[in-house]
Amino acid sequence: MKQETAFDTTQRPWVATYAQAGIVAELPAPSHASLAELVHERCTHFAAEQTAKRLKHPAFSCVMPNGMNGRLSFAQVNAMSDAFAGYLRQTLKLQRGDRVAVQMPNCLAYPVVAFGVLKAGCVLVNTNPLYTESEMVHQFNDAGARVLVVLDMFADKLPGVLKRTRIEHVVVAQVSEFFPAVPNAVIRGVQKVWSKVLPPVTVPHVRLAQALAQGRTTLAATPAKTYWQALTHTDLAALQYTGGTTGVSKGAMLSNGNLLNNVNQMLAMGATHMEAGRECVLTALPLYHIFAFTANLLGFLVIGAHNVLVPSPRPVQNLQRAVENFPITWMTGVNTLFNGLLNEEWFTAYPPKTLKASIAGGTALHSAVAQRWAEVTRTPIAEGYGLTETSPVVSFNPLRGTPRLGSIGIPAPGTELRLMGDDRLPVAPGEPGEIYVRGPQVMQGYWNNELETAGVLSDGWLATGDVAVMEPDGFLRIVDRKKDLVLVSGFNVYPNEVEDTIAQLETVLEVAVIGVADDKTGEAVRAYVVPHPELGSQLTPEQVLAHCRQQLTAYKVPRLVVMRDELPKSPIGKVLRKDLRKALAEEMGRG
Amino acid sequence: MISEFETKLLGIMMIIIMLGMGASLTVKDFLIALRKPVGIGIGVVTTYLLTPIVGFTIAHLVLLPNASPEDSKWYAYAVSLILMACLPGGTTSNIFNYFSKGVLSLSLLMTIVSTLLAVIMVPLTLGLFSSGIDGDWQIPPENVAQVLFVLLVPTAIGMVLRKVNPNLGATLELLGGLLGVVVILFLVVSWVPRNWPLLLTTPWPVYFGAIGLGVFGFAVGYVFARLVRQDPRRSRTIALETGIQNGPLGVLIVTLTFSGEQQQQVLLIPVLYSLFIVITASIATVFFRRMTTREALARDRMKTGALVGN
Repeated sequence: MKQETAFDTTQRPWVATYAQAGIVAELPAPSHASLAELVHERCTHFAAEQTAKRLKHPAFSCVMPNGMNGRLSFAQVNAMSDAFAGYLRQTLKLQRGDRVAVQMPNCLAYPVVAFGVLKAGCVLVNTNPLYTESEMVHQFNDAGARVLVVLDMFADKLPGVLKRTRIEHVVVAQVSEFFPAVPNAVIRGVQKVWSKVLPPVTVPHVRLAQALAQGRTTLAATPAKTYWQALTHTDLAALQYTGGTTGVSKGAMLSNGNLLNNVNQMLAMGATHMEAGRECVLTALPLYHIFAFTANLLGFLVIGAHNVLVPSPRPVQNLQRAVENFPITWMTGVNTLFNGLLNEEWFTAYPPKTLKASIAGGTALHSAVAQRWAEVTRTPIAEGYGLTETSPVVSFNPLRGTPRLGSIGIPAPGTELRLMGDDRLPVAPGEPGEIYVRGPQVMQGYWNNELETAGVLSDGWLATGDVAVMEPDGFLRIVDRKKDLVLVSGFNVYPNEVEDTIAQLETVLEVAVIGVADDKTGEAVRAYVVPHPELGSQLTPEQVLAHCRQQLTAYKVPRLVVMRDELPKSPIGKVLRKDLRKALAEEMGRG
Repeated sequence: MISEFETKLLGIMMIIIMLGMGASLTVKDFLIALRKPVGIGIGVVTTYLLTPIVGFTIAHLVLLPNASPEDSKWYAYAVSLILMACLPGGTTSNIFNYFSKGVLSLSLLMTIVSTLLAVIMVPLTLGLFSSGIDGDWQIPPENVAQVLFVLLVPTAIGMVLRKVNPNLGATLELLGGLLGVVVILFLVVSWVPRNWPLLLTTPWPVYFGAIGLGVFGFAVGYVFARLVRQDPRRSRTIALETGIQNGPLGVLIVTLTFSGEQQQQVLLIPVLYSLFIVITASIATVFFRRMTTREALARDRMKTGALVGN
């Protein structure tokens, strides 16, 4: 067989694109020895800018759905995180490398606590606040966490959890932490009396404000710098838990070097649309997730942006006041978030005028959503690709130039990437293969889990489990998760492709496609469709099928279209196909 | 009947309510509302045509037949019922719609439209529907326009506050919503016991008018919405929005227009209306909520059955 365009995926065909897109080809070496140093240096720098009146915005704002908000300046975040580091190391006597679990949605306490943990030289264990008791127990025990910082709203699970873990100290924060007195009182009042979401904290604990006060007194004798100045790139910064599909949650060991490098890689991607001290980023995705943690929390801190935190982006209406009251220039999101905003009239009628660009990640961005977003906001939206194990950015679409729909772009500077076949050899050009990544952002391994580590990491190469094809110029197109592939009569069907096709229908709000066991064809395609609340009230499965028959080869057309009111989603809004499969399996088991 | 102090208190509460209402809106909300002619049309028709007709009809059928120069209090009842019927819907209707699982955006839209047009429409409809009633009892439309205009000032301030100081704006929004209910509770606690004998001697047509305005409002609103092909859930929202008037505003206008014995007589229906609408709207809410839930369940059942193969 003769190849028309001879290229080799083990070469780096994408390098030529860097210059055209205004991206540095050589990744600059991180200028900080640790994340703690980065936080300290950047906060000090921008605090000085603020004093000199060259910078007018705060470092962080937190906006509640009703518009109530609180803010922290760069100087405040710096001083408070110092105090928290002092509290951990002096008051609680933690050692360098000890694990601290942080279980909070987006709120002003998050940056203070997370930066405090890093400054203490401890390891941050980000934990989903919506975890069940058993998930919490597993994660805390696996990580060996000694301290837990948790939001009071989630304190009801503590009595059951703590006695089954080695957690010695609990620090409790509130969602309206650091808000002005009146809004704070109103929010607490509403939470307590009206929505009844404030369970009594029945376990021994310290309030964050007390902890900070105690920590502050230690700083005179031992400044926070003492704890972090010896840290290097190889020191562990965070244990980021990831479920994967095997079910057992594992902690990806992300070092200071991993995260510092990935921040640089992410900034390289946005550089053409970023100006230090002039940006305002909307953080609607949870910071405990690696995407927002690296991109929003760390990346935008580096360029001194105003970070607008929204505690919960669901319902999407919760974002309205944040978008109206702050001059948002950047957004990060997942497909469901962008799609949700595009279905809100207040957003589509008056999209933020200040917006410059958005990044989509976490899961495939449907091309219909990408196109509509660009039309409505008149700003570029770039899809990136990454994993928890890669801190997370692996590849991205350049913001400059014509967007390539459905592509996850080109590898970030400093990243090596290959597509491998099942034989663990590079696939032929243009053929689908599993993405293997090597680079400074690839994790050190899974915490205390050599078996799982060996399964994905060898010789610095990480097997991602995602199947992609590469175009001659190095642009990548994900075909799907390896394990989500549906095998219909021996043909590969990629759920992404079917979902993308169905999402083109205006009457469809959301869609998920999975494979189900089938007597005749081995597996069959099944689509779960959520009709659009206004446009889709008349939508029938037949219409969806008719559209699919028009657009797709016969074997890719769903066997069954199921109408649903909603789809199961992960905390950041990824549609969870595995939950659909699980529910289906249970149904079958019962039936 | 209502002391000087109470009138002032009511005025202040009304200002806070309107501040809060303003704080719940933005210029963009108005502009978005303007893009929805159907919602606006329904809001205008129900608020400024259907409810006034309901009030007018009840007044002429059960109240005015009793009126004579010797028994002039019936004019007072008729005028005040028509006044209540001509007022815009208040924020209270949004609260009831929230609890009845109605279409909140539609409810807000109708409130926005009716409030914005109130300065012009209330004096017009009030003049039209109360014409022919003894002149002593007429409420001068320019009085009403004045009160409504004055209340637009806090509304505008509220809108600015929401943008400039969202913390204050949100606090006022919450406070305003609460006060709408507080005003009514205040009436119940302070007014009802003092006027107990009056309540016992009040003739049935007055009760009929005070309760009927709300109940017939719900019915007429629902039928109208179905006629213009709104789905059942939107129709229920429109029904509540039609029947629930801005009670505290009516009480305020009356206290500012009349005094002494006359005030007492004109005030009876607005006060009774405010009391009973809480009860009737609560009943309607429970009922509507159940229907919404039942419809949702039925939709689910239909969907699980609609599995199609290829």
